[in-house]
Amino acid sequence: MSKFADQVRQGAYFSESRGHDTLLEIRSPLTARPVPPRVPEGPQVVQAFISQHRSFFILLAVLMAQLVLLSVQVTRDRNVPLAKVWAVSTFAPVERGLRSATDGISGAWTAIRDLGHAQQNERELNARIAADEAEIRELSAKASENDRLRSLLDFKARAGYSTVAAEVIGSSPGENSNAILIDKGADAGLKADFPVVTADGVAGKIVAVYGHSAQVLLITDPAAGAGALLEQSRVQGVLKGGGRGLCRLDYVMNDNAVSPGDKVVTSGLDRVFPKGLPIGTVVEAKDGNIYKNVIVKPAVALNQLEAVLVVVSKGSAPEEPQARH
Amino acid sequence: MAAPAERPINVYRVHPLTLWIAALLALVLQPFLPVVLPAAHLLDLPLLVVIYFSIMRRSKVFGTIFGAALGLAEDALSHGFLGMFGIANALVGYFGAWGSIQFDLEQFLGRLALTSALVLFHTLVMSGLRHVLVASPPPLELLDLVSIVLLNSALAMILFQALDRFRRPA
Repeated sequence: MSKFADQVRQGAYFSESRGHDTLLEIRSPLTARPVPPRVPEGPQVVQAFISQHRSFFILLAVLMAQLVLLSVQVTRDRNVPLAKVWAVSTFAPVERGLRSATDGISGAWTAIRDLGHAQQNERELNARIAADEAEIRELSAKASENDRLRSLLDFKARAGYSTVAAEVIGSSPGENSNAILIDKGADAGLKADFPVVTADGVAGKIVAVYGHSAQVLLITDPAAGAGALLEQSRVQGVLKGGGRGLCRLDYVMNDNAVSPGDKVVTSGLDRVFPKGLPIGTVVEAKDGNIYKNVIVKPAVALNQLEAVLVVVSKGSAPEEPQARH
Repeated sequence: MAAPAERPINVYRVHPLTLWIAALLALVLQPFLPVVLPAAHLLDLPLLVVIYFSIMRRSKVFGTIFGAALGLAEDALSHGFLGMFGIANALVGYFGAWGSIQFDLEQFLGRLALTSALVLFHTLVMSGLRHVLVASPPPLELLDLVSIVLLNSALAMILFQALDRFRRPA
């Protein structure tokens, strides 16, 4: 027995290794004979291959899962609402807080700067003049804000629509970001497809509504569209987002006269935007095969939006829904 | 840039809290910055965070999963389909980790080159996905592409320097 044990210790009866598992074949000294090297079998080869390229297969699995997710959304022609609702509901209060904090810091900074200027002026001239100047600056800032809000209010009164005022608190990620997040949602009675406007004209429409916020697709997004007509000639077309801050006016025949500078307004035929709202101005019009290629610059400075109005009812303005803050 | 067999490879780790804070900050600031600074829409903070942590950890599995998770979160905050940023960021995470093993990223130029390549790759993947999924996607202009790569790479070099303070050898 001791001789057998010695032989085992010396490795005479170890046949082969497979992966991490060492196979040990122990035979009686009487029957022991050299074991021929075993060729790895099919499943073992596959297993070893997968194990060797584990990271690549994980990447493949992650990509496949997301492609399936994408195909489900594309075939159903809508996004996954639940995940977006969770994400936006989580982040919107943070965005709102950040906006408030930024405004606060900006106000404090302005005050500090004004104070610094006032002290400097006090040394140079006198305290009274500096204080007056600071006051004038503050008043003119307030006046500017008042002008902006007044123009919104004027528009609101003129339009005869029932509207809800909202503040822009975020934008959609990505370099082709053509969507914004506003601080009013289902709590203010907003619903998908409600038009979003400013005193200058059409900004976009609501595409997703959350509890206390909503996502607005701007008219420059390629997925956005609106019924439109040229204000002077009354030629109709379909306005689509062209990206890069511009829009296209499609389906305008080559025979129709269109020239740069022509105003484009909503036609109301899309049943989303009320008729007659300014959309923009034609900046380029060229003949195409059948239809003209018309490029429109939006009337609203979409990259500088701060406050907007959401049209909640296109009839004569009744009671405005009360927004909960 | 030496071959992998010719040089020792340093692997770093950060406290999980640093990783979470960096990821959350990127997600929060990404939609907010363009509101106060319109030019910031060209920046992609979650992408830069994915690039940094995948090249720091040098793990393709980590890079893939971290990239996919952060990308999906970015998708959930965007108006696009869920999965577009997920796919692009997973690929960036994978190739970022791969590149970190292949090239010496302790040097500024190596890091800048890989980051620029990954930002370019990400933009092209996103543009490709948009062409497949969106009916009339916006054209990708050369000037935009160059601006995106330059701006993000420049910000990345500052951001990576700041994040390097929180890493320690594994």
